[in-house]
Amino acid sequence: MTHIRRGLLAGLLAGLLLAMLNFVTDGTPGRTLPDVLHLFGITIADPTLSRFAGFFLLIVLGGIVGIIFGLVQGERFISISRALLSGLVLGLAWWLVFSLLLTNIMNHAPSPLNLQFGMFLATFPIDLLFGMVLGSIYYQLQEQPATAEA
Amino acid sequence: MSISSSASDHKRSAATGAKESSNAIPPIILSERSITGLALIRIFVGYLWFQQLFWKMPPDFAGLYSYIIRESQHTIIPGYGYILQHTFLLGCASLHTATGCTLYVPLAAGVWIAELIVAISLMFGLFTRIGAILGSVLAIQLYVGLAYTEWIWTYGMLVLLCLALSAIPAGRRLGFDQWLAPRLQAAAHSNLLARFVSWFA
Repeated sequence: MTHIRRGLLAGLLAGLLLAMLNFVTDGTPGRTLPDVLHLFGITIADPTLSRFAGFFLLIVLGGIVGIIFGLVQGERFISISRALLSGLVLGLAWWLVFSLLLTNIMNHAPSPLNLQFGMFLATFPIDLLFGMVLGSIYYQLQEQPATAEA
Repeated sequence: MSISSSASDHKRSAATGAKESSNAIPPIILSERSITGLALIRIFVGYLWFQQLFWKMPPDFAGLYSYIIRESQHTIIPGYGYILQHTFLLGCASLHTATGCTLYVPLAAGVWIAELIVAISLMFGLFTRIGAILGSVLAIQLYVGLAYTEWIWTYGMLVLLCLALSAIPAGRRLGFDQWLAPRLQAAAHSNLLARFVSWFA
């Protein structure tokens, strides 16, 4: 059970980081946050409320993904190599599902795999960063045995 | 848990351990919270650089052009404007578009790639000090060219932020340097390149 709690906490914290990165955007603060709601077909007319809802939805999504991460890792102690690699894989999956497939489907793009360089650059590194941070926090939250890999 | 900056630090602290009792200056040890806080700052500084890629996107890097023009006109170092006019702005016919410029696109591509390297290095904590040093160089260049066109500390703060990240191993939490550093330090005893590279992680 501790691995699920650890995954949840790591996911919430990584989700908070992702939400904060989405808040400090050029132009209007948090202008991309309503896009998160749009992925689930949610529309809120008030722009401020919409941004705050997007902010909290990202944190909740982070928590859910963190639980999945914890379930996959199981009870065992994981090394930093495994934590970072699993995190990157998770970030890639997040990018595929949310930034590529769902975005294209909800925007009625010609193909669910439709991708432009600018969009790729804006989303791919950030989603990988989310996964890496989640994996890294998960590793830090483990009780470090004396013989653990550094 | 202590975070020291390199393998040589470990050696030095071990060698001087016996003398420490008589020395007046105790070693500085960063707490887990402090280094994690610095790692978060590192990620946000990397994100700062990352966002600036999008207003000067390839293939023409058009957004950068007006800044190069401004730098050539307002530089605080004599001769720097001349260098810009004979490199980035060589052959340029207009103050507004890069038409006719012979070297603008390849040099602007170099700037863009350098900023991408800084962003990736700092966000992912991957050889963080390389990213921080390169970021310092780019920020100093911005300060030299644009300091008096905006608030005087705008680019000065960016220089100081990047210099601060050059001085600390901020990639060893929430970053790939946490994985890289111990491996490079272990290899540093027998490998000169690993000893050199380990300082950057």
